[in-house]
Formats: sequence, structure tokens, C-alpha cells
Amino acid sequence: MTPTPGQSNRPVRPRLRTRTVSIAAALTAFTVFAAREVGFDPSTFWEVWSNPLWEKFWPIPWDWVFDSGNVLQPFVETFQIATISTILGCGLALPVSFAMSSLTAPNRPTYLVSRAVMNVVRAVPDLFWAKLMVTAIGIGAFAGSWALTIFSLAVMVKLFSETVDGADPGPLEAARAAGGRHAPALRTGILPTVFPDYVAHSLYVFELNVRASVVLGLVGAGGIGRVLEAQRQFFRFDRVLGMLVIIFVVVWIIEQVSVSLRKRLI
Amino acid sequence: MTATTRRPAAPRGARERRWTVALVIVVAMVWSVSGLNVTLDRLLGAPGDAWAILRQMVPPAFARVHERGAVGKVFESVYIAWIGTVIGALLSLPLAFLAAHNVAPVWIRVPIRQLFNAIRAVPELILAVILIPITGLGPWAGTLAIGIHSIGTLGKWATESIESIDSGPIEAVESTGGRWVSNMRWAVFPQVMSTISSYWLFRFEINVRASAVLGMIGAGGVGSELVSHLVFRDFPAASAVLVLTVGVVLTIDTISAAVRRRIITGSVGKSEPSRSAEALSDLTGIKQR
Repeated sequence: MTPTPGQSNRPVRPRLRTRTVSIAAALTAFTVFAAREVGFDPSTFWEVWSNPLWEKFWPIPWDWVFDSGNVLQPFVETFQIATISTILGCGLALPVSFAMSSLTAPNRPTYLVSRAVMNVVRAVPDLFWAKLMVTAIGIGAFAGSWALTIFSLAVMVKLFSETVDGADPGPLEAARAAGGRHAPALRTGILPTVFPDYVAHSLYVFELNVRASVVLGLVGAGGIGRVLEAQRQFFRFDRVLGMLVIIFVVVWIIEQVSVSLRKRLI
Repeated sequence: MTATTRRPAAPRGARERRWTVALVIVVAMVWSVSGLNVTLDRLLGAPGDAWAILRQMVPPAFARVHERGAVGKVFESVYIAWIGTVIGALLSLPLAFLAAHNVAPVWIRVPIRQLFNAIRAVPELILAVILIPITGLGPWAGTLAIGIHSIGTLGKWATESIESIDSGPIEAVESTGGRWVSNMRWAVFPQVMSTISSYWLFRFEINVRASAVLGMIGAGGVGSELVSHLVFRDFPAASAVLVLTVGVVLTIDTISAAVRRRIITGSVGKSEPSRSAEALSDLTGIKQR
């Protein structure tokens, strides 16, 4: 087809639909309303620099930060919380995930109940669990590890049950056809194919747990956050900043190691 | 050939490796438990204590928390999450174009990637801790903390989706002599925008939970309600706040998941019942067979 002379060959721009316009208007209106509700104040962005408080952030007292009793010991505690809750949470997640996948659930009620319960557990934010546990069993790292165990279980079952959903059902059918009972059939038919993913997800959950356990102390559940909170209340922001640098470096290293391990696994 | 059936031999070293892994896990457990000053009676008492509190939580005292304005607080959390997401989305989008290796030169890409990594390494709560002395207590501190933190993750996700685009349209724009900006606008933007906007919604879901938590240190939202009830050991009220939060979180997750699915898969070829079935499975977590 030759273009008609005097007429542009551009395709016509689609007309805006009423629905598109009204959705955009509604979203804008909601955004403006929400911004007013939260006290949106762009002046913070430039007034922030003239704040006298910044002087308190500098210089970083490195000798205080590197003194083993101040930061190192709470930091080790943070790792202990993250480690034990990863092991417990991911260990528990293995059977629960199998119950939560329609491929491997032993029966319909188990499937329904485990899915519904885990969905609700996951909807509660991690620090809410921490605060609940602190109230229930007392301040300290013990409460923190309980909270993070629940949290890692909730995250892990979500990730891993989806892997199990996507697993090849062939070996499982073979194991069942050969007369295997439920647990052995899962052990030989599904577990070997999904196990690398299980380890990879566990590493990811460990990463999440390290990040989460850093802030647990802000609600009294142990770890480095306890020191952060204490120094914040004394307005020692230089110390807070020093700790943040350490946390940043360690979290970064863990992430790099975990990412490279996960790449090798999958 | 012999008549006996023989199992295939296990791979060499598998047994040793298994024992090593088990040993490492046990040592890690012992090491971690040693630092938590757990005594046996605390360990045995914990489930009982948790159960005692759980029993006091039923029935939730909805009427009392409603009088104190807990519903408004829950919505304040939603507003904080929304504005935080908007701030994060608007700031991260241009940065992501400068961080993707197929469209940005190396001298700008590396610092921006490091910026994303640095932001992601600092949790929202810590950002809020730093921001509260500057902005004062209240929702604006939480909003800024969430906004800044969202830049990190949203920027990373957007960068990844820009990097995975088809390079054909870019070459087409280049061959017509388009500048970098028009290249981004006409070759990259249309390809990535559906994915990126669904990431924004996903981040909004995460931010609703995060903003609920931020209230616990006074940065606005429902967290402060939960803390004050728990401090006074008013468990029926605390559980009412929890139920409200969980309800709002699940509702938002469900709506947002439905919208995300609509953005990614489009409206073609989906009947009305299957859409509501999908929404139901988002809400309950139960997939239809």
C-alpha cells in the first residue's frame, strides 16, 4: 500500500479511555490524600543538611566500635540468633512445605489447614512476632530466636512449597506405583530433585534472618539492635554510625557469599 | 550376569559428606544456643508462657481499640507505605536506567549500583532511627525511611528487568539517529514498564508490613498501638490490633496480586470466574485443583 500523498504515515495514537483516566485520577487523589495524612514535607530534603544534629554523627569513634565488649559480642549474639532460627525454621519447613503442596500433601485437610495457617502467620510482620515473644517469654535473645524461627518458617514454606509444586511428578508416581508409602515415596521421589533448591532457599532465609536480627534489639529481643537502641537514646549518633558501617560491611559480605553459593547450587 | 538383584552403589564419599554436613549443623546449633543463655526451665516453660498469653488474647477487644482509633492507625500505616512506595518508585526509575549495563556507560553504572546495594543493606528501622531526630516523631519519618529503603530494592529490580530486554528496538532507535533519551523513552521504557510497575505494587505489599513495624519505634502507624497494649499487658486489645493488621495486610496482598497479574498477563482470554478464583486463592493461599 502506498501512502496517500499529503497524509502522514504515522499510526494513529490510541484514544484515552474513560476508565484509564478515572483510574489515574483516583490514584492521584489517593496519593495526594495519603501525602497529607503522613505530613509530606519536601522541605526536609533541603533542611536536612542544615540540621545541627549532623555534627553528632562525626567523627566515628573507631576505638569504641572495635572494642570487643561493645559491638563484637552483641554482634556474635545476632549471628547466633540468625543461625539457630534458620536451622530450626528451615528444618520445620521441610515437612510443612510437603504438606502445603498439592503434589505431596498427605490429604486434603492437612493441605487446607497448613496453607491457611501459614498464610496468616506470614501476614504478621517479623518485629510483631518479636514483640509478642518478648512479652510472652521475657526480654532477650531467646525471645528473638523464637520470633525469627516462626518468621523463617513462614518465609521458607512459601518459597519451598512453590518449588515442590513445580517438581517433576514422574519419580513420585513411580515410587507410589512400586508400592512406597507416603513418606518414603516423598523421600525418594521428590526430595532429591528439590533438595538443591531447599539449600539455596535456606541460605536466602539465613540472609534475611541476619538482616532481621540486626533490628530485633530495637524491641528488646537481643542482638546488636540492643546496643543501637541504647546509644540512640544517649544521642551518641557517632557510635550508631560506626556500628552501621560494621553492620553494612558484614551484611554485604554475607550476601556476596550466599549469592555465589546459591548460583552454584541452582 | 548374576541372578541376584543389586542396588546401585551409593556415590563415593556421599556418606562422609552427609555426616560432615550433619556435624556442621549440630555444631552451629550448639554454638548458637550457647549464646542465648537458655536454661532448661526457660526452654520448657516457653511454650506454656506463649500459650497462656494466647489464651488471654481470645476474644479480641475490638470495641475498645476502635474507640482509641486503631483503625485510623492501620490506615495511617497504609498511607505511609503508599507514599513511601511512590517516593521510592519515582526516585529509583531514572536511576535504574543509569544502572543497567546494556544502556548505561560504566562510569555512571558502577556508582549507582553500589548506591542501591548500600541502601539495601540498611534496614528501614535503622533508617527511621537516624531520621527521627531530624524529622521528629511521626509518620513522615517512617515514610522517608520506607521511601529511601525502597529505592534500593526497586532500583535493583528495575535494573535487572532493563537488562533482560530485547535489544532489537534499541538498535532500531539508534539506526534512526535517536539520542539516548529518546532511545530510553521509545525502545526501553515500553518494554519494561509493565514489569517495573508490578514490582512497585509488590514493594507496596512489603512496605505495608514494614510501616506497621515502624510504628513500634514511633515512626507512625499501627505498631505504636500494638506496643502500648503489650506494654500494659492488655492482651485482648493487642490481639484486636493484630487481627486488624493481618486483615488489612491480607486484603492489600490480594488486591495487589490481582492487579499485578492483570498488568503482566493482560485482560485477554480470562473469564470472570477464573479471576475471582485466583483472588480467592491469593487471599487464602489455597490453590484450586
